[in-house]
Amino acid sequence: MSNVNWTLRGFLLAVFITFVLLFALRGHAGSAPGVDAEALLKRSDTFRNGWPSFVTRVKITNYESGKPDEEKLYEVSQKGMDRTYVEFLAPREKGRHLLMLGDDMWIYLPDTSRPVRITPLERLSGDASNGDVARTNYATDYTPAYLRAEKVGEIECHVLELTAKRKGATYQRIVYWLRVEDARPVRAEFYLTSGKHIKSATFDEYTQMGGKMLLHRLTLYDEIRHNSHSQMEYSGSVPRELPDKLFNQGRADRF
Amino acid sequence: MKWAFAAGLMLVSGMGSVACAQTDPTPSERAYSTRYSVAVIDDATFYSDVTAPIPKVLNQVLLEPTFGIKIRDRWTFATNLVGAETTYRDNVAHMRVKETYSGLSAGDFDFLAGRKLVRWGTGYAFTSAGVLDPPRDPTDPGDRINLNEGRDMVKADWVRGQHALTFAWSTAELARKGMMVRDTTAIRYNVLMRGFDTAFIAGNDRGSDSFGAITFTRVVGQAWEVHGEATWREHAAILAGAKYTTNNGITFIGEFYTPPNIAYYRSIRLSPTAGRQHYAFVRAGKTRLRELPGWKEWDVSGAVVTNLDDHSYVGVFDVSRWFGKHVSSYVHVEIPGGTKKSEYGAAPYGAATSAGIRFEL
Repeated sequence: MSNVNWTLRGFLLAVFITFVLLFALRGHAGSAPGVDAEALLKRSDTFRNGWPSFVTRVKITNYESGKPDEEKLYEVSQKGMDRTYVEFLAPREKGRHLLMLGDDMWIYLPDTSRPVRITPLERLSGDASNGDVARTNYATDYTPAYLRAEKVGEIECHVLELTAKRKGATYQRIVYWLRVEDARPVRAEFYLTSGKHIKSATFDEYTQMGGKMLLHRLTLYDEIRHNSHSQMEYSGSVPRELPDKLFNQGRADRF
Repeated sequence: MKWAFAAGLMLVSGMGSVACAQTDPTPSERAYSTRYSVAVIDDATFYSDVTAPIPKVLNQVLLEPTFGIKIRDRWTFATNLVGAETTYRDNVAHMRVKETYSGLSAGDFDFLAGRKLVRWGTGYAFTSAGVLDPPRDPTDPGDRINLNEGRDMVKADWVRGQHALTFAWSTAELARKGMMVRDTTAIRYNVLMRGFDTAFIAGNDRGSDSFGAITFTRVVGQAWEVHGEATWREHAAILAGAKYTTNNGITFIGEFYTPPNIAYYRSIRLSPTAGRQHYAFVRAGKTRLRELPGWKEWDVSGAVVTNLDDHSYVGVFDVSRWFGKHVSSYVHVEIPGGTKKSEYGAAPYGAATSAGIRFEL
């Protein structure tokens, strides 16, 4: 009889412990009391978009098998949440311009002298793609959901799952690690509509620019060709009043 | 003399590059900014299976300097010249002004005067609505050696939000001999609405009929772009096209084009009695073969242009490769086919193979 009691007590204790553990884990990972994923994402965007209207330089260094093999330089002018104008400054790309308005993108090539529409898939070429350069306001393009809390190295992070609001977004899904302390981006994984994991990113260095703490360096890893990665360095970010007509799709007379 | 002018311009461009702040890493507002480039191209075309008494080799050496200056985001001056030495039947050197214009930007308005390359057409290989565009060659739509020239014009643009209104008046008086252009007055309204980049064009060629056109481009989903043009110039001309990009970056372009057989649209190889023509264009290409180890610097494409009425065609193959930041080389092959009386089959050769090397600074 006493054996049965002990077995029953042991069983009830195990059920209780399991229940407590499951409840604790669920509370920790799923509901995340006090975390507003939307606010978190908006705050994280401020580390890449310091002002409502600004200009910055982006240098991209592509690495093949660990060796740098190509450098590109862009001047990026951004106004509001979804208007970006990119001027290509590298010798091989000189004379090219890129315009992104919402989900619509045009490239101006010197040999065609007219805006050429770019599809979202064309945007993805390269480790660092046109979309990576031109689009940094994730709160505008994606709906966030809180996944869990997790450590990246020694850094306590919130993990968000971002789902594209429209088909025209550069990526269809992003898993995004943000530092608990201030919501600064730490790591990201990018997925296509097919579910294919196409790229990963680590947000390596932040620095003061124009009186704001802004992203200085991030690394993009190609998850399809594993021997290749790109480093994007932001510098010289300054607020600047940009004329609306800079962002007009029909204005092909770019200087 | 012309070469001396080109060399002088290069020198001025070089001095500009030293004086300007283009290498300034901080994109702060500057009193002025300059843009410059110089390209040198050696292009040799070899004709095989020649059926007419023509030389079998055409060699062109081109020097293409460009220079532009923008002052306080308001005033602009830009020039783009081509000096060419052509060896074919004779040895001929000449210089062409592709573009030279001044511009003023004031509020919502932009004004421009001078020779300017304008492209209002949305087609890749063909255009009916590009009333001020340089002639489009479907076998070389990218203008491989940059010989297209602009039109001499006065142009005013009004730009607000997603709306742009352009008025242009172009004169034929200053055009080079042999260019088939007339004085043209045209107005264009461009708007982006629900993803449709749409333009309405209307105007008149002096001594000819008036014309009207509508153009559009639209991206559909992740991989498709569609575009089209409909023009009325004595009769209707229609262009419909699409671009599709695969997951691994191969881009396909297809176009169907039907112009009326009037002097404005007629190819020099076509009889005036041939009636309305129908053309198809298909192209597959990939820039940068990144997936193949060691082929990252290579671009390849293949295209076919065909006249659906006389069943003639041209197959076009392009391969290019970059060497470092400033040097690239290419091979461009055109293989015409069809009967000797057909538009493309009438070419007096079996194949034209162009090989070139390009240096850009």
